[in-house]
Amino acid sequence: MAHPQIAAFARLANGGQAPLRTVYGQGSKLSRTMHDIRYDELHDEFFVVNPFAEAILTFRGGTSGQESPIRIIQGPHVKIGGNRLDVDPIHDEIFVPDARRIRVYPRGANGDVVPIRIIEGPDTQLTRAESLSVDPVNNILVVGFNKGERDPDNGALLIFNRTDNGNVKPRAVIRGPKSGIIRINQMAVYPPKKLIVATMPGLVDQMEPPNAFLGIWTYDDNGDVPPKWKISIGPRTTLKKPFGVVLNPKNKEVIISDMRLNSVLTFSVPEIF
Amino acid sequence: MLKARRRGKLWLLFGACAGLVLALAYGSVSGLMYAVAQTPARAEDRTPVTIDRAPQRVIKDRYPSFSAVAIDPEENMLVVTDENLFQILEYDRRENTPPSARLTEPKRVISGPNTRAEMLCGVYIDPVTKEVYVLNNDTQNWLPVFSRDARGNATPSRYLAAPHGTFGIAVDEEKQEMFLTVQHENSIVVYRKQASGEEKPLRTIAGSDTQLEDPHGITLDLKNKLIYVSNFGNAQVSPPGSRGGRRQAESYGKFEPPSITVYALDASGNVKPLRIIEGAQTRLNWPSQMAFHQPRQELFVANDADDSILVFRAGDQGDVAPIRAIKGPNTGIKNPPGIALDIKNGEVSVASMGSHAVLFFPVTADGDVKPLRIIRGGPSNQIALNIGNPGAVGYDTKRDQILVPN
Repeated sequence: MAHPQIAAFARLANGGQAPLRTVYGQGSKLSRTMHDIRYDELHDEFFVVNPFAEAILTFRGGTSGQESPIRIIQGPHVKIGGNRLDVDPIHDEIFVPDARRIRVYPRGANGDVVPIRIIEGPDTQLTRAESLSVDPVNNILVVGFNKGERDPDNGALLIFNRTDNGNVKPRAVIRGPKSGIIRINQMAVYPPKKLIVATMPGLVDQMEPPNAFLGIWTYDDNGDVPPKWKISIGPRTTLKKPFGVVLNPKNKEVIISDMRLNSVLTFSVPEIF
Repeated sequence: MLKARRRGKLWLLFGACAGLVLALAYGSVSGLMYAVAQTPARAEDRTPVTIDRAPQRVIKDRYPSFSAVAIDPEENMLVVTDENLFQILEYDRRENTPPSARLTEPKRVISGPNTRAEMLCGVYIDPVTKEVYVLNNDTQNWLPVFSRDARGNATPSRYLAAPHGTFGIAVDEEKQEMFLTVQHENSIVVYRKQASGEEKPLRTIAGSDTQLEDPHGITLDLKNKLIYVSNFGNAQVSPPGSRGGRRQAESYGKFEPPSITVYALDASGNVKPLRIIEGAQTRLNWPSQMAFHQPRQELFVANDADDSILVFRAGDQGDVAPIRAIKGPNTGIKNPPGIALDIKNGEVSVASMGSHAVLFFPVTADGDVKPLRIIRGGPSNQIALNIGNPGAVGYDTKRDQILVPN
């Protein structure tokens, strides 16, 4: 992307309506490939990864312009690795996937910190962990697998306990043709209904994959399980390649970013909430 | 009055019941297609409930975001890449969109799934064949080349499997070599200009000594045999002598100031820059594409986050101020990632991503000056959203705002 930025739009923004604020520039320490962003309501902060400088950036909630992050986790002991993250504001932890491992950092950390836990080892089945979402209420951690151009296997969803550490087995693995999962990008969880909401954008090198969708599973699913609900691509939804997702339970909305459309689409989906 | 209200309620109840019966009969409730009424015993056997309904709202920029620009003065060709709608657009460089006009229509558009062109960020016009070379920065690891006549959903005349994360392109026509910057590897790769398929680079500049730190723009001084590279400053620290690159076991990240690093034209491997332009006086702020003016021996830099074009002397080094800067409200420059020089006509053209425009200035322009001409791809009052490959989305519950990172 020629111009990295974080743009903040009003919830009701529609069409070409301008953002209310943007974060960008040298002072922001942003880079392109910010494949995740998480807002922490409890502390009024938001979090992104700069993968090129291997840093977790924490901004105050109302950050605008070329304002700098209030905390930066970066250094030889940090070893970020991945592009995505999630935040547990209740237990004050940040989770970062890095292919074969999940690293957990203190939320309030600043500087060159060692992870407080690492889920890693052959029993974890972690090989291509690229995204995750944490549920601090039900103590669940869901991990999404990617599929690169040369990977033989399709992606999956792995469900761990939030406090897992070391070489632990996942509680459940959702994988297989019925699941429809090829690769998983950004995910969200909905603790009250124990739901996993994940974007499935299809093969990485296909511009308009025919089988992309947004899938909704439950924490109890295990094996080759189809999603319970599915927001499909197509002429009615207008979706082509869903990459990002966030829930707005207050207004019973699912908000999806679509790479192929360079757009953000808001769907009213009261039945899942 | 009370009776009438009761009657109204009854009708409402009747209407709701009738609607529900109809909806169930046709298998649809507010666009929700349900599959089977009864829940299967095993989750594996369930059929997903497909939610097939229109979005309530869509945030989308309908106009092109100009990410890079190239000029061929002999044919008056102006080619721009559009990162928003995934297009390659050609205009006549002499066009000037009147203030009252919505936009200027391009002479040709190349776009579609056959093009292997998507997140476009670099462009080059062959001065002889007029072929157009474009770079994908993400999502498609290809460098497609299009003929002078290609248009629409055209198949490229050839394409090279380029490394993931290429950004800038420069060509040495005398030696028929093509130079690319690679963000993801902190490297410069040099290919045969006619390279295609899985062909490997002739040489690579990469490693711990190079000080390549998220490299973006690249331009060549062919008289003095030099390569100029702009860096955002997202650095990887790796042991001395190592190959560098991202995610190496022994490397880690670090923020460095933005810089312009200079190398010998034939440099290869883990080489130190000959000199560096870096420091507070340089005013560099996300320095993006660059262009070198051979006769004037000046380096032009599209300074993205400062809404400016900076001009340095060819021999500048260290913490130096630019000799000229085009910046200010009159210029119309907003988030410029792209720049090209038209030496024949004495102009610099700027891809102003934040205003859907290409702006033309005299090469000697300095300060808050109005452009000579503007080619607009969208209405003048329509701000560009600059959404590019939105890999994620967040929601600020306190402010009721949707957060969209690129």
